[in-house]
Amino acid sequence: MEFVGIGVLSWITFLPIIGMILILFIPKENQKAMKWTAVAATFLQLVLAVMIYFHFNKGSLGINTQEGMQFVEKMSWIDIRGVPWFGRIHVDYFLGIDGLSVPMVILTALISFIAVFASWKIPKALKGYMAMLLLLDTGMMGVFVSLDFFLFYVFWEVMLLPMYFLIGIWGGPRREYAAIKFFLYTLLGSVLILLAMIALYFSVTVPDGATGERMYTFNMLAMMNPANFQPGTLLAGVGTYWRHLAYIALFIGFAIKVPIFPFHTWLPDAHVEAPTAISVILAGVLLKMGTYGLLRISYPMFPELANYYSWALALVAVINIIYGALCAMAQQDFKKLIAYSSISHMGIVLLGMAALNTQGMIGAVFQMFNHGTITAMLFLIVGVIYDRAHTRDIDAFGGLAITMPKYTGIMTVAFFAALGLPGLSGFLSEAFSFLGAFQTHRVLTIVATLGIVLTAAYMLWTLQRVFLGQPNEKWASLPDINGRELFTLVPLAVIVLVLGICPSLLLDLMTSSLNHLVEVVRAGAVL
Amino acid sequence: MVDQALLSLAKFLPEITLAITFCLALLVGVIFRSRPRLSMWVALLGVVVSIALTIREMGITESVFSGMIAVDPFATFFKLIVGSSAIFIFLFSLYSAEVLSTMKRLVEYSSLLVAMTLGMYLMVGATNLLMMVLSIELTGLSSYVLAGYTKEASDSSEASLKYIIYGALSTGLMLYGISILFGLTGGAMDIYAINRALVTSPVNPIALLVASLLIIAGLGYKISAVPFHFWTPDVYEGAPITITAFLSVASKAAGFAMLIRFFKIAFIDSSAVGLPAGIWITLQGFEWNKIIAILSVLTMTLGNLVAVWQNNLKRLLAYSSIAHAGYMLMGLAILSDKGIAAVLIYFVVYMFMNLGAFYVVMLVSNKTGSEDIDSYKGLGFRSPFIGVSMVIFFISLAGLPPTAGFIGKLFIFASLLDAKWIWLAVVGAINSVISLYYYVRVVRNMFLRDPDENSGPLKFSVPEIVLLLLLVVPTLLFGLYYSPIVDFANASARMLGVH
Amino acid sequence: MELQPYLLLSAITFVIGVVGVLSRRNAIIVFMSIELMLNSVNLSLVAFSAFLGDVTGQMLVFFAMTVAAAEAAIGLAIIISMFRNKQTVNIDDINILKW
Repeated sequence: MEFVGIGVLSWITFLPIIGMILILFIPKENQKAMKWTAVAATFLQLVLAVMIYFHFNKGSLGINTQEGMQFVEKMSWIDIRGVPWFGRIHVDYFLGIDGLSVPMVILTALISFIAVFASWKIPKALKGYMAMLLLLDTGMMGVFVSLDFFLFYVFWEVMLLPMYFLIGIWGGPRREYAAIKFFLYTLLGSVLILLAMIALYFSVTVPDGATGERMYTFNMLAMMNPANFQPGTLLAGVGTYWRHLAYIALFIGFAIKVPIFPFHTWLPDAHVEAPTAISVILAGVLLKMGTYGLLRISYPMFPELANYYSWALALVAVINIIYGALCAMAQQDFKKLIAYSSISHMGIVLLGMAALNTQGMIGAVFQMFNHGTITAMLFLIVGVIYDRAHTRDIDAFGGLAITMPKYTGIMTVAFFAALGLPGLSGFLSEAFSFLGAFQTHRVLTIVATLGIVLTAAYMLWTLQRVFLGQPNEKWASLPDINGRELFTLVPLAVIVLVLGICPSLLLDLMTSSLNHLVEVVRAGAVL
Repeated sequence: MVDQALLSLAKFLPEITLAITFCLALLVGVIFRSRPRLSMWVALLGVVVSIALTIREMGITESVFSGMIAVDPFATFFKLIVGSSAIFIFLFSLYSAEVLSTMKRLVEYSSLLVAMTLGMYLMVGATNLLMMVLSIELTGLSSYVLAGYTKEASDSSEASLKYIIYGALSTGLMLYGISILFGLTGGAMDIYAINRALVTSPVNPIALLVASLLIIAGLGYKISAVPFHFWTPDVYEGAPITITAFLSVASKAAGFAMLIRFFKIAFIDSSAVGLPAGIWITLQGFEWNKIIAILSVLTMTLGNLVAVWQNNLKRLLAYSSIAHAGYMLMGLAILSDKGIAAVLIYFVVYMFMNLGAFYVVMLVSNKTGSEDIDSYKGLGFRSPFIGVSMVIFFISLAGLPPTAGFIGKLFIFASLLDAKWIWLAVVGAINSVISLYYYVRVVRNMFLRDPDENSGPLKFSVPEIVLLLLLVVPTLLFGLYYSPIVDFANASARMLGVH
Repeated sequence: MELQPYLLLSAITFVIGVVGVLSRRNAIIVFMSIELMLNSVNLSLVAFSAFLGDVTGQMLVFFAMTVAAAEAAIGLAIIISMFRNKQTVNIDDINILKW
């Protein structure tokens, strides 16, 4: 698919940047124009995402072959030849998607679009805010579509600075602390990824198309083929010391993003301080990058270690699930509660991944998508109430069901989806994850199911404290949810309902790719 | 002999130009007393001509003046770095309130800058111990005076005094090291002859170690490597900003050029056979690269950790420049041309981002009269363009994509991992995380804090903005498309007499 | 010719010079100590040169002397400018900038 000679993936990635440049030229007074430019950019992005959804070939495998990738764009970006001691330096501008990335692409477009509407009431420096939001959007989209490690890394890092500013300038009272904490944590993860990336670069060679001369490459697909690892290089062989080291470096890098216990402490701070729209993006998309990175990079490039460490991954998954749920239960702050519930729900993704079978893998990716939509809803819901009451203290509320009936209706959908009620999307992905994991990590999965009970407990308890009971007179005059807010919440609620009834709308996209991913990882299991 | 000298002169045109410019700038200053700016323009023109002549020398590999100086791609590369930063410094000076406040001494300022540039041109090509000492001294003597240029301000003359004391001390140490080396090698002054002597007849390793440590002290002072860095923060803080910027880029580049050339030629086992292309090994029983590796770890760690506590931006940048010297030293420790090429790439990048950061500091201090980190509060809202440029320079200094600083770090780390120096790469990576913290402190003040109530927007003139763009654009552009600098650096990693 | 005593003397004067630079507080004396260091270098160079029968060492000595003179001249000039500002040549009093 091409528009004006440029591929659809380039468009979907760089549309926000175009919007950002336009916004920078809009005079400061004209706030409306800025908002609508941002809406236009993200809306077009969403349209492209929908087109991708309909044109996506569900049968192709992807993962480790270029033929299996769709909407591929590949151009030489950096090519430096003829240096005796460097060999040839080659970086491609290489985009493509498969069943693993397509749900994430759709999710990113959707969440970004909604985030712009959630940002309608930003009090100061709107120009900078919208510019940063769109830059962030490009970074996120770029991560999910790039197939060249170097490009991936650049997009990965491009997100950091906008996120720092978005939390730091427009955040809550402790924004400075939260912003720098987020920045330092993620950068620490990134440099580890960087080192692993360089080590991979110096281990993998591919024949040049024209001359057949072997050259180093950043091509992710080439890095997934064990035959491309040159003997004698750092990461050649199977299960060597250096491979363990590189795998752990990559794992920590991605784990900080997910976040996996004990690297999670930045998340509650960032969520609590971030403005609503940014929390939505953070929970909806950014966290998925960690697990996406593990599936896209760590798993197929280090299959033997993915097998070897699967029990460890299952263990941290269980810790995430239980620990996140327990922490959530103890929270007074509505937003912090949802932040910890995110940690718990991302644990389910990890558990599905650790299963290393098709059900688990499908459960994991499906859960990534569902968590994106459900948690986005939860954060929007908190944003709505915070805009009105200017507090997030759960105990300060009560009986809101009477004063805000429409709001309560939407909220109930989100809460029940989050606790995994059958008929809503969250149930299916959790069920798949647990089913898959049960086959490989029996005991750990049984422990993990305890998390479901805990989740139900804190979700229902919160629901009760906020919406049921005696109405607090202080809030008697709160206006119900307005049209713009409904517009942000309803599409997500519809998706949650529809995917709960008819999951195949999304599952069909990813099944063959994820099947193939499991095969690839299984094939490397010799440790 | 005469013929050889005449032939050499033809390869010595950039330096001759600078020497003539030095005299001309003084002369113009004496003749046109009432128009001191004129000599600055003469000096600027002279440096531009010398760069043009240097570009003509690209690709030539020759030894001139009986082995005193090498004209090779490596030297040419550093001459271009030094020359271009000199041009930037002259342009900065045209807008620097500090420099222009002492208008009547502008003649000395311009001519001494030219003299310093000349000294650095000689430093980067010196292949003889005598030439090394003399060129270091020419650079040093000019810079001591320039550091105290605004001598009415007591911190400036204080900086100057500290600079010369440490400078003289380190020259003394280096000369003593040279005298030991001279004795050990049986009277060799030429660094190629030193290498031949050391390879053919092994010497007392302790004496060699002492001599090389003393020489490292002298050169380490120039590049401000820990533990020879004590002068750096004080001098950087006290000297005029333009001079600080020049010292942090050009002086460091010249020092690195000399350090790399000296060690790579004098102290490697040139008789070793069967090594892969671009890999070298140290002399038998004298692994100086371990010393360099330790120095680099100390330098970057101390630079970064101390920078965290700084509140004066010039001082903060001083420690950051110490840390950057540490990153670059890693490239030398691994004994490969890849490492050297990575250092050269780093220098191109470093020139743009560091000069840019100092330029912003200068612009802000012109308006606010302060270099304190608190005076940057809300700068991003008082002058968005300046604020955003500073953010770009700082994230580049911290090494984040998509800026040029990332490319510099990428190639350093790549050469380290390629040579399997994993632990050093990890130390470097952790250091770059630490460095982010203090760079972001400034960014935080600029954007996350509100400006003081009585401070309005800052306005800058068009030429000032254009000059800033000249530094911002390469910093971003080389982050996205770095083939030119990598090509250039790779072609420049060739030295006279090394294959 | 016996080389050892000359080198020993040179080393001793060099160390005295270094210790002087690091421990004395009067800027003038610091510069004198630096001169001492440079002279010890000259001594060892001349000694090596005579021992090896090679004049290049003595050539370097001449340059070193010139350099030392230039350094001293600039150093004194800077001390004078410092003195005008602060009426002192004591290094401990020169402390606007942290050492």
